[in-house]
Amino acid sequence: MSGLLRQFVNGIKMNSIVLPESGDGLSRTVLRPKKRRGISIHGLKVVSSMASVIPFLALIVVLLVLLSEALPAIKVNGWSFLTSTNWRPGGTYALPVKTAGVLHPQGSSFGVWPLIVGTIESSAIAIVIAVPVSIGAALIVVKKLPPFWSKGIGFFLETLAGIPSVVYGLWGTLTLGPILSRDFYPLIANHLPNAFPFRFFRGDVGHGEGLLTSGMVLAVMIIPIIAATARDLIRQVPSLTEEGGTALGMTDWESTRKIVLPWVSTGIVGASVLGLARALGETMAVAMISGSILGATPTNVYSTFSTIAASIVTQLDSALSDGTGFYVKTLAEAGLVLMLITLLTNIGARVLVKRVATTALPVGRGV
Amino acid sequence: MWPRMIEPVEHAASIQSDALMTSGEAPNVTAVANPVIRTDSLDLGFGSTMILEDINLEFPRGSITALIGPSGSGKTTFLRSLNRMNDKVRGYKRAGEVKLDGTSIWDSQVDLLQLRRRVGMLFQRPNPFPMSIRENVLVGVKAHKLARKSDFDQITETLLKEVGLWKAVSDRLNDSPFRLSGGQQQLLCLARALAVRPEVLLLDEPTSALDPFSIELVESLIARLAPAVTFVVVTHNLAQAKRLSHNTAFFFQGRLMEYGLTTQIFANPQQPDTQRYVSGAMG
Ligand SMILES: Nc1ncnc2c1ncn2[C@@H]1O[C@H](COP(=O)(O)OP(=O)(O)OP(=O)(O)O)[C@@H](O)[C@H]1O
Ligand SMILES: [Mg+2]
Repeated sequence: MSGLLRQFVNGIKMNSIVLPESGDGLSRTVLRPKKRRGISIHGLKVVSSMASVIPFLALIVVLLVLLSEALPAIKVNGWSFLTSTNWRPGGTYALPVKTAGVLHPQGSSFGVWPLIVGTIESSAIAIVIAVPVSIGAALIVVKKLPPFWSKGIGFFLETLAGIPSVVYGLWGTLTLGPILSRDFYPLIANHLPNAFPFRFFRGDVGHGEGLLTSGMVLAVMIIPIIAATARDLIRQVPSLTEEGGTALGMTDWESTRKIVLPWVSTGIVGASVLGLARALGETMAVAMISGSILGATPTNVYSTFSTIAASIVTQLDSALSDGTGFYVKTLAEAGLVLMLITLLTNIGARVLVKRVATTALPVGRGV
Repeated sequence: MWPRMIEPVEHAASIQSDALMTSGEAPNVTAVANPVIRTDSLDLGFGSTMILEDINLEFPRGSITALIGPSGSGKTTFLRSLNRMNDKVRGYKRAGEVKLDGTSIWDSQVDLLQLRRRVGMLFQRPNPFPMSIRENVLVGVKAHKLARKSDFDQITETLLKEVGLWKAVSDRLNDSPFRLSGGQQQLLCLARALAVRPEVLLLDEPTSALDPFSIELVESLIARLAPAVTFVVVTHNLAQAKRLSHNTAFFFQGRLMEYGLTTQIFANPQQPDTQRYVSGAMG
């Protein structure tokens, strides 16, 4: 037996001891743990603190690998990688050239700006749709529906969460997109005024592949995450507090708005960030619904576009055929940018949670 | 300036001396000159279980009434029925009437929100809302549109002074109420309930979670507000009932056993069960 295993077994081995006879003539057998030589509290601390640094280490390792892979591309593409709208892999048949000591195809020029815009805009559309829908659904499930129906909807949400993204992609590109662009987008596009926020909803509605369709499909994908969390949080709001609102003559809606929602707000921000992270990084569904346009920023909400994650997967094939390896390195650089975006989103969410939480919440409430 | 709550119609002391007299029979209730709330053969139950039967009670305006009785005797059920807090509880059944100023509280003409503004409630444990201390005081005022925005600061100060919290919280009105002590939280909830200028306040064991010092604060506050506000207080603390209330109702085994002047109930109870309960022989 290895040392560690033996220690562990010793730690849990119990020996039964018999207490001295008591006055009633019955002896009592009790279990008492043997003096522990096994894994001590100290050992447990070491193990668990090691476990807790694993996610951190994993993040660092991934970042480093990505960085070393992308470094040559960073040298060649420069800062304009972030702002340029070019996406030109360069000539495959011409002789490769060297810039800053890095070999790359002649005429290659990469800019990730349209992809950054596409990533953020499609995720923003998704979150703008998903958060209110999720909160509304959670409120209805908890407050209005009889138990039978809320259980049914819970099952439905879990099923939705388990559908593979490629299926969402198929649905979006074959069914939802064509229907929306034929029957609904023209209605919106033709009836909104030509003024600032509505301008983006006007113009060519395309054939269903594009920003708005992708945003909607992403919304459907993240609603289960946010709604299930929101539902659990709303269930945990103490009824005593809610009844306080009722007893004060507040309507159900007033109690919900002023008591229930503030009570769960930090938790919902957290769940929304999880959903947002999923949307930012979603690959397959967006690759199938976006229309895969890499070199131009979307002009309206129906424009075809692409995101960083989707582009990495759609471009990988041709990138691998680049003999200089530069295209792949550029994709790694794009992946690095995506990680930075996700990181910034998380930091932003933390700031938001801090601001929401200071308003007023019970001390030590673990949400 | 924030108007003083509600002018007392009559002083409570004068009401009890001539209105509520105990005679031999139980429940023994004589007509009160100007009852703010009266119940007429009120039956309450959940599902098929009967909790209370045939309750006839009158709460004189401006008085403090203690509801006493063993656990499970239906005090909370009764109290919550007085502002219709039970209406949405699963299985809740009722027969008979509760009348506020002569009108049934279940009358279709009655505005439920307005009823609850007039008949407020304080719970056993403090239940501040997740908003600042100031917003907690003002939330009812805003919901019922009782004052203009320019008066809000004044109202907050007046009410917090009224419940004796002003000194402790005046420099942190925008802080979370959850950082206050339990007693302070309960006082804040009282301020919140008083802010909508209720005529009646229903208190369900309001001091059972508090320390003796806070209990004294709450009690003296109730005593001070009593002529303007009618109080109905459920309590397990017999000494509190004795100290605080003008009238006492004793609930036992689904019935109103006895109702009368507090001094009478404690000094000279008419029912053997009441006698056993108030003397501490029961339980
Ligand atoms: N929602 C409910 N559904 C079913 N039965 C209930 C409900 N609420 C209370 N009861 C029952 O009604 C009876 C009276 O309860 P109630 O809470 O009114 O008693 P109480 O006098 O306030 O007791 P305590 O002094 O312990 O607070 C109890 O037997 C209780 O089990
Ligand atoms: Mg009770």
